Amino acid sequence: MHKTLFAAGLAAALLTGTAHAQTLNVATAGDQNMVDYIKDYLGPLFEKSHPGVKVVAVGTGPGDGGSQKIFEKLDAQKKAGSATSDFDVVVVHQKAAGTLAKDGLIEKYTDKIPTGKLATRDTATNSLGTDVSGYVMPMFHSQTAIAYNPDLIKTPPSTYAELRDWVQKNPKQFGYNGIKGGMSGVAFVTGWVSAFGGDAAKLEKGPYDAATKATWDKAMADLKEFNKNVVITPGNAGTLDMLNRGEIAMGPVWVDMFYTWKTEGKLPPNMRVKLVSPGMPGQPMYYAIPEKSAQEKLAAEFIALATSPDVQADGIVKRFNWYPGIDAKNLEGKLDQAAWNQLFADITPADLSSNGKPFPIGPYFNDILETYEKKVAN
Amino acid sequence: MARPSLFGLLLIAPALAMIGALFLYPLGFSLASAFTAPGGGFSLMHFDKAYELYSTDILFTLFIVITSTILTGILSVTIAGILTLGETPWLVAALRNLYRWPLFIPFIVAAQCMRTFLAKNGLMNNTIVGMGLMEPLQATSLLDWRGIIITFVWKQVPFVTLMLAGAMASLDRATIEAGRNLGASRLRVLIELVLPQVSQTLLVGLVLSFVTMLSVLSVPMMVAGSQPTMLTVDMAFRINSYGDYATANALGVISYLISGMAAWIYLRHNVKREAAA
Repeated sequence: MHKTLFAAGLAAALLTGTAHAQTLNVATAGDQNMVDYIKDYLGPLFEKSHPGVKVVAVGTGPGDGGSQKIFEKLDAQKKAGSATSDFDVVVVHQKAAGTLAKDGLIEKYTDKIPTGKLATRDTATNSLGTDVSGYVMPMFHSQTAIAYNPDLIKTPPSTYAELRDWVQKNPKQFGYNGIKGGMSGVAFVTGWVSAFGGDAAKLEKGPYDAATKATWDKAMADLKEFNKNVVITPGNAGTLDMLNRGEIAMGPVWVDMFYTWKTEGKLPPNMRVKLVSPGMPGQPMYYAIPEKSAQEKLAAEFIALATSPDVQADGIVKRFNWYPGIDAKNLEGKLDQAAWNQLFADITPADLSSNGKPFPIGPYFNDILETYEKKVAN
Repeated sequence: MARPSLFGLLLIAPALAMIGALFLYPLGFSLASAFTAPGGGFSLMHFDKAYELYSTDILFTLFIVITSTILTGILSVTIAGILTLGETPWLVAALRNLYRWPLFIPFIVAAQCMRTFLAKNGLMNNTIVGMGLMEPLQATSLLDWRGIIITFVWKQVPFVTLMLAGAMASLDRATIEAGRNLGASRLRVLIELVLPQVSQTLLVGLVLSFVTMLSVLSVPMMVAGSQPTMLTVDMAFRINSYGDYATANALGVISYLISGMAAWIYLRHNVKREAAA
């Protein structure tokens, strides 16, 4: 008798629970910090302004692989004819954003939210050569750069060519993670191809020409030579770890990770970064709403909050050291001078606009990785 | 000899269906995808590509797994030998209590520990330098192929030792005592009397270790840089970066062949034994 009563009560509790609470499922690609951002910061903020709503954050893994999983899930649900998708908001990399928009797996929404007009940088409409206008809002921009230890290097190289010479004179003092251990290594390699492989603008804007990869032979052969004098590190964090332990003096890193590690005391406070010319790539992460989201309206409100100047200033810039997703001028007055200065101390806005490049368009991007595997790694 | 009854078949049907649906079907699917050209039809193009891009990694994988298996064998025999033939009670007791620990630690945790332990300025080198046994400049990073082998061996030795020590303990002690009484050294007893009697168990343990190490993704990914790397990392990269399942499956088939080789050695040995018996 007791048990039956208890079970009935439990069932009732569960029923009322589901009846009241709305759940917003947010799937995010990227490292653990992305999940933390939504779980610890953005989710609670949204739940406060929307009583009864619960934000659930799911991480799908770092790098393009994480975005690929989101794509595969949405694609499978569409092919299976599901009425609603399991995700209401997705956070994806550029490569996946293009595919999602092309395949009609995400919907156009930026006209419907008040912050839609605040992002005007070319990445808001162009994702590695695919037109994504209306489909995505940049969550933040991140940038790769060369981190170095000023105790060991007084004047760091300021171009790829100088870096190449420096490495030759200082073997095993530069480290990067190849192309299978995370995007900072990939960024370094695509930057190398842009610097030494010929027509950099064509890589960024297209049109795609399959014959182009043959012109990289010299650059790739040089890179293979270059690799003999570098340390291949295990992953993005591996490069930072080795910098921290003084095992390497220089290496490509994500600027946001670099600042976060410095703030947390996992890197010596005197470490600095430099954005070498002709440039290294950076990328935004995008917020998008799946076509079949069951909570379309809530999802749009969630993204509107996430891309509002206040949240961008406090959450994106101040807490996580990312560059804002919406145009930086919208943050004026929302950030104190110290936070602003810290973000732009080593890399000035001028550096950023001249040397902060997008990744190459999708097909070139794959060609670069595969040519690297063929000519450099094997 | 009873005929298999219908009831018996019914009883195992769920298990068979499970294996069929969750193992055989995906296996067949990935095999088919490795041999199919994009437009359909049989093709070896994915193997060409796998070879063109990853030939070094295939050799590297073989080298790592074979070396680790050999080292695992040597260390397991040593530890099991000490446990069985040791005459220093405190050493045997300490070893018995210690050797099993790595069994309970997942590969990924082991890899994470090794990452800071084996680094150039990591815990191990700092300890050695701190004890004054080495100059800081002599310290080298072991986070490359050596790191992978160390992690694999550290993780697999307890497993093989556990099987081996069990087999040795169930041997007829009389043979060992007889050997000792006739003046054979403990090493000789181990190699000439004990090992031949447990070689079957040793082989099973090593074949299982071989196949396990072949399939680990976390250790090569976390411990070493990616050039060269093991096939598991390449497979993950093929899928994550290009969504290219066909080449990943071709690499998978190459892995099947490598583990098939281990299985073949094991089976051949088994058949020989049965023929002899």
